[in-house]
Amino acid sequence: MKRIIAVSIIALIALALVPSIHFAHAQEKSAKQYINLRAEVWNEFFRMTTAAFTVGAVVSGTMIWLVWRFRESHPKNQTPTRWEKLDDPTTGNYEKEGH
Amino acid sequence: MVLELKKPRPVWQIMFSTHHTDVGLLYTITGLAFLFMAGVLAMMIRTHLFFPGQGVLISDSVTFNRIFTVHGLTMLFLFALPVANGVGNYLVPLMVRYKDMAYPKLNAIAFWMNPVGGVLLWLGFSDTSWVSYAPYSVIRAPGPAADMMIFGLKILGISSILSSINFVVTILKCKHPDLPLRKVPLFAWSMMTVSLMTIVAMPSYAAALIMLLTDRLGVSGFFNPSMGGDPIAYLHLFWFTFHPEVYIFLLPSIGMMYEIIPRFSRKPLFSQGSGVFAFVMLGLIGFASWGHHMYSTGMDFTTKVVFMIGTLAAVPASGMHVFNFLATMWGGRIRFAAPMKFAVGGIALFFSAGAGGVLNSAMPLDFISHGTYWVVGHMHLFLTGTIAFGFVGMVYYMFPLITGRMYSEKLANIHFIGMLWGSVQVFYTQHLLGLEGMPRRIYDYPAEYTSWTQLNQIATIGAWILGASFVAFLINLIYYSAKGKEANMDDPFGLGGKYYYPHQAKNPHHIGY
Amino acid sequence: MGHDTAEWVFIGVVIAILVYVGVDSWIVQKEVEEVPADAETIKVTGQQWFWSFEHADGTKEISTLHLKKGHAYNFEIYSKDVMHSFNIPDWVVFEDAVPGHVNHAWFAPDQTGEFPIQCREYCGLLHYNMRGSLIVEDTP
Repeated sequence: MKRIIAVSIIALIALALVPSIHFAHAQEKSAKQYINLRAEVWNEFFRMTTAAFTVGAVVSGTMIWLVWRFRESHPKNQTPTRWEKLDDPTTGNYEKEGH
Repeated sequence: MVLELKKPRPVWQIMFSTHHTDVGLLYTITGLAFLFMAGVLAMMIRTHLFFPGQGVLISDSVTFNRIFTVHGLTMLFLFALPVANGVGNYLVPLMVRYKDMAYPKLNAIAFWMNPVGGVLLWLGFSDTSWVSYAPYSVIRAPGPAADMMIFGLKILGISSILSSINFVVTILKCKHPDLPLRKVPLFAWSMMTVSLMTIVAMPSYAAALIMLLTDRLGVSGFFNPSMGGDPIAYLHLFWFTFHPEVYIFLLPSIGMMYEIIPRFSRKPLFSQGSGVFAFVMLGLIGFASWGHHMYSTGMDFTTKVVFMIGTLAAVPASGMHVFNFLATMWGGRIRFAAPMKFAVGGIALFFSAGAGGVLNSAMPLDFISHGTYWVVGHMHLFLTGTIAFGFVGMVYYMFPLITGRMYSEKLANIHFIGMLWGSVQVFYTQHLLGLEGMPRRIYDYPAEYTSWTQLNQIATIGAWILGASFVAFLINLIYYSAKGKEANMDDPFGLGGKYYYPHQAKNPHHIGY
Repeated sequence: MGHDTAEWVFIGVVIAILVYVGVDSWIVQKEVEEVPADAETIKVTGQQWFWSFEHADGTKEISTLHLKKGHAYNFEIYSKDVMHSFNIPDWVVFEDAVPGHVNHAWFAPDQTGEFPIQCREYCGLLHYNMRGSLIVEDTP
């Protein structure tokens, strides 16, 4: 498990860095006398979308896993939650022996 | 309990009632009716843009401009606000354990202003676009239409202030003395937050509308540069109301998800405290970001930075809500009935809309995104993807409570899949159209831009899927409220236990209740 | 991890990302707002529903703007009637034309060709057709 987490974190960092390397190179070529306005702005855009899609992958991955794992039809999910013996489970709490 | 169709009453008794459940029912039905009306306009707009060229569906650009204006105004003021108020009317008094709203007559008056405002908006059919920027709305917008829009919005604004006062007083003054404020359910917290925000934000727009009207009459020149006025002043007054208004639309939907998600996860909420904190934070920070709508009006660097920080500051609080939802689902035993599906779909799209919002607030990206279809896609992803998902989920959730019958789960599934698929297809594609540079609010686009044509066609097909899914919703609402299976009122969603309605509404008009 | 720790970690990560977004866009905005000192001024006037241009030497053009590759240009943007928005999408040039205000936008084309100019703020009847073109020519 730890290895998977470490590898995925490294992969995410690499993903975040790749576009900046690539576009820094593209910038060098076009910048002559003035800064290249559209390259600057679009580079910023691609950096931001990389960040957004990285976070989005984590969030939507978590959501898909949650929906898959905690659906009531999941085999590991046959026993009622410890709050279901209450009249209203939503009024329970997270103390050790939920009452 | 309100079993409107199992125990029918004459319709005038509901119409002239001041009981919170009746007013709530009226609000909800009005909101949904306007949703379908404005939805038809949206379908017309999208169908028209399927092909480049004029007169594809709509014969002239004035009509097109009028259609998108009324579509926007109706969805915001006559769908989003009334449905939030309707659900609030149903649940807030029950949640704070009071017999009714604090001012029942004021409540009914506030509701009855909505149809009046709606009639003015629809008969006027103004072409100013919903933002009605001066000086276009002052010097060029044609005759009685724009004035009728101003009066209609004025009435709707007063209505939302009145209902806000009502909610604030109900929650703060009429709440049961045994119930501490921090334990008030989060949906009621969201209604209180948005009510306080409305009371602070709305007067600025009300003032702007009056100034717009006197400008149009020619007796003043607040926004008319030829009389020494400044159009930018209108933008400030307008966005000071309407950026907070974004949160006013959003937070009730988040509150509804807070009602749905723990119940269908069969689990207590992860953290009441962080939900309350995030609501209050959003309520405050919502007022710090209106300027990001005006980056391109010649704002200086420092002002832009201030508004960018103000905008970004809202993100952690929104993230806390998402975290709270996910942590609540974690370790639960989730039953995916229709309300839960819509709530989860809403959270997923809420994230992508929020991520787009972060991109929008980054100052240089304004050059790319502002005023293009990117913005259209972004705000529709919020309004349809998050707000309408929450509202629709809540309507399904309250369906047995209101009608005593069960909706068809099969149709609800079709509705959910169509709505999720359609929203993604139309609004994500609109983001791409924006990146291609297509301005918003255009009647026609050049045929030689093939990428625009292709993307528009993809978006239009998505819109048709979205529209078709709402036909399933309509059948569910009309047919199954009269002919559906009788609901097991203790546990309509089969969650096990007798806890579906922790709060019981007693309507004095129902004999035997 | 305790009940609250996870949430604090989450908020920390979110704030870190937002700080990155803020700092990065600060840097880029600072860069792109700096107009080069030798930029040639071009007056751009928007009115319902076309753009007109006036070069520094007084020559006027309507709807079509001719510029030279390798020069920097600073647009002074005016409006005669209602709000418009001067936009050359291919060059990321975008600024509102507000009556009673003068706004600025600049760019330095480094590529010849013909590029569309459009209006990006709703301005009435023919807003969709408020188009022009920018022609960037090679300098000898």
